[in-house]
Amino acid sequence: MTSFEERSAWVQLVSLVTVLGGYFVVAGIMMSRGVQELIAYTPLFVAGVILLIIVLALGHIVAVFYGKPERHDERDRLIGWRADSNASRVLEGGVLIGITGMVFSIDSVWIAHLLLLSLLLREIVKLSMQLVYYRRGV
Amino acid sequence: MAKEKTRIQNQIKTLRFHQGEMTQQDLADQIGVTRQTVNAIEGGKYSPSLEVAFRIAQVFGKPLDEVFQYVVVTK
Repeated sequence: MTSFEERSAWVQLVSLVTVLGGYFVVAGIMMSRGVQELIAYTPLFVAGVILLIIVLALGHIVAVFYGKPERHDERDRLIGWRADSNASRVLEGGVLIGITGMVFSIDSVWIAHLLLLSLLLREIVKLSMQLVYYRRGV
Repeated sequence: MAKEKTRIQNQIKTLRFHQGEMTQQDLADQIGVTRQTVNAIEGGKYSPSLEVAFRIAQVFGKPLDEVFQYVVVTK
């Protein structure tokens, strides 16, 4: 059976992709319709974060049902560090593009969403790499 | 000069068998890691730290080089 850490990574990955992916679909539609005030996205974002917390909590309850959590060991830590280190490039890239966008006076709503998307993609890459390392070895 | 391809192999599965068919969980509990980590070490998917390697050797009462071998992979 898979470890709790691996099940938790699956729960986080699926939750982030579905909930925050849903946020970006709706936000993308709003942006394409010309909604440029950042404050207009706040209720959607807050709802997304609350929904994410609920889905994560429920997902982890299900994960515990399949086996109680064990304490982290050296392999979990190494996998976490490696995945984190590799995924940080995504965030770095997003921040650099964001700064470039600010230089060219791109609307703040686009910059904010680019940075948020970078954070989301970083987590998706990190969790995906963790799952690969758990399956194929580190 | 071309770099030689090497890998770390181990005799943990055999040693567990000779230790009264010790389970992976039993070994994991004794060395302070998860069963999945013992499984990954046995399968060559994870090379443990020196400390864990020494703990494994200690459980079996064997020197480290009887548990782990650093081998050159021949094609």
